[in-house]
Amino acid sequence: MTNLTTNSGQLPASFRDPSGFLFSRDGILYRQINRAYADEYTRLMESGLYEKLVKAGLLIPHQEVDQAPAESEAFFRVIQPERVPLISYPYEWSFSQLKDAARATLSIQRRALKAGMSLKDASAYNIQFVRGRAVLIDTLSFETYQAGHPWVAYRQFCQHFLAPLALMARKDVRLSQLLRVYVDGVPLDLASRLLPWRTRLNFGLLTHIHIHAGAQRRFSGEEVRSRSGSMSGQAMTGLIDSLDATVRKLDWTPRGTEWGDYYNLTNYSDGAFEHKKQLVSEWTKRIQPAMIWDLGANNGVFSRVAHDTGAFVGSFDIDPAAVEQNYRQVKQEKLENLLPLLLDLTNPSPAIGWANRERDSFHGRGPADLVLALALIHHLAISNNVPLAQLAGFFAATGKWLIVEFVPKSDSQVKRLLVSREDIFPEYTRAGFETAFTTLFTIREAVEIRDSERVLYLLETKV
Amino acid sequence: MHFAPLPYLDPGSGSFLIQLAIAALLGLAVAFRASWSKIKGWFGIKSKPAEDDDESDDK
Repeated sequence: MTNLTTNSGQLPASFRDPSGFLFSRDGILYRQINRAYADEYTRLMESGLYEKLVKAGLLIPHQEVDQAPAESEAFFRVIQPERVPLISYPYEWSFSQLKDAARATLSIQRRALKAGMSLKDASAYNIQFVRGRAVLIDTLSFETYQAGHPWVAYRQFCQHFLAPLALMARKDVRLSQLLRVYVDGVPLDLASRLLPWRTRLNFGLLTHIHIHAGAQRRFSGEEVRSRSGSMSGQAMTGLIDSLDATVRKLDWTPRGTEWGDYYNLTNYSDGAFEHKKQLVSEWTKRIQPAMIWDLGANNGVFSRVAHDTGAFVGSFDIDPAAVEQNYRQVKQEKLENLLPLLLDLTNPSPAIGWANRERDSFHGRGPADLVLALALIHHLAISNNVPLAQLAGFFAATGKWLIVEFVPKSDSQVKRLLVSREDIFPEYTRAGFETAFTTLFTIREAVEIRDSERVLYLLETKV
Repeated sequence: MHFAPLPYLDPGSGSFLIQLAIAALLGLAVAFRASWSKIKGWFGIKSKPAEDDDESDDK
C-alpha cells in the first residue's frame, strides 16, 4: 500500500474526510489528525470509547507519536495505528467475511451511541481483518452524537453492506463482484431490481432496500431541512437493531457439489498428499518468510501447513464456496494469521477508485516473500492458455520465493482438462517448464512427489 | 432541524427522510418491547437476554 503515495507521503485512498489522512514515512504508516477533528478525537479517547472498542477487538489500536505532520497547516496530532498485515477489499471477501464486517460496524455504532458518539461513515473499506477479526481501521470515523439527528451513514451502510449481502444470500453469491464496479457500494435501485420479489416479504429488506430505493428516487435532490423531523434515541436504537437483525438473518451456506469435498476430488493418494505437506513445511521453515501468498489455495489445507511455520498467509481462491469454508474454519480454529480471500488469478483485483489509485491492485499489495502455487499451473497454462514464460513472469512479480507444483500431461487431472479440446501445448513438459522458469528463477529444490507423476519445485527469483 | 455541523458525506435526501419514517416505527417497537418486558417482570417472567453479544466482552 505504501507505493500508492503522493509527494507528501499522503495515501491516495485517504482524501475524502477533512478530519485527517494517512501518510507513509520511512515505511511506517501514520495518520495525521487535523485541528477540525480535535474535539471529536479527544472525546473518543477520553470517553473510554476508544479503550472499550480496542478491548473488544473492534477498533485498530494506535499510539500518539511525536512525528512531524505531513501537512502542517491544519495539524493537530499524529498517531501511528497498528499495521494491518494484508489489506483486503469487500469484493475479495466471502459471504461470512462481509457479514462479520457489517455486524462489527453496527456493534461499533451501538457502543459509540452509548458513549455519546456516532459513526459518521459506514464504509466497508474502513473494515479490515486483523488477527482473524473484522476491525475498524479508521480512527477518525466518530463524531459527537447530536440528539435528534438521524444516522448520516445509513445510506452508506445499506449500499456497502446490506445490499451486497442480500444479493449474495437471496440471489447469487457471485453478485459480491458488483462491489468491484460500484466503489461506493451497490446502488439500492439496482439491488432492489435484482433481488427476488419475495424479499419484499422480509421487513428489513422491504424497508432498508426496496422502500429506501423508492424514497431515493422520489426525493432525489430535494432539500432535506424544509421537511425533516427529528429522530429520538429510541428510534436510533430501533434502526440499528433492525439493520443488525436483517443482516443476522441473511445466510449463505453452499450445498451439494458447491460445498466441495475438494481434496476427495483430487487424484492424490494419502502418501503423495503427506509427502507434499512435508515438503511445503520443510521448505517454508527453511526460508522463514513473513508473508506468504497461497494462490489457488482451495479451502486452505496447505495454507495451514505454511501458517504453522509462523508466517502470515493470504489464502486466495477463485471459488466463493472454498473461501467461505476456509474462513469459517479460520474462525473456528481462531487462527490469527491466515486470511482467506476471493481472487480470480486470470483477472486479479485491479486498482480502482478515484484516479485508479484508491484501492490497490492485487500485485500492488505485494510482493510476498513466498508464493505457493500448488496444483495450479495446469489450470493457468492449459485452461487459460497462458504460455509458461508468461506464467514465470507473473510469479516472479508476485514473490521472491516460489513453491510450485508441475503437473504433467500424463496426470489424470490434466487429461481431464484436455479431453474436449485440442492439445496446443507442445511446450507443456517438465523440460519446457524448467526452461521457461529458469530464465527468472533459480531452482533450489526439485522433488518428485511420492506415488504421483508430479514434481514440486522450490524456486528463488534471480536478482 | 438540520445538521450542524454538516456531514462530510451527503446522507442523501431520500435516505434521510425514509430513515426518519422507518426509525420512528422501529423506535415504537423498541419502546413496546421495553414496556412489555417490564409488564412481564411484574408477573415474575424473565425476558430472554438479547441475542447480541455486544456487552458480553465489555465486562
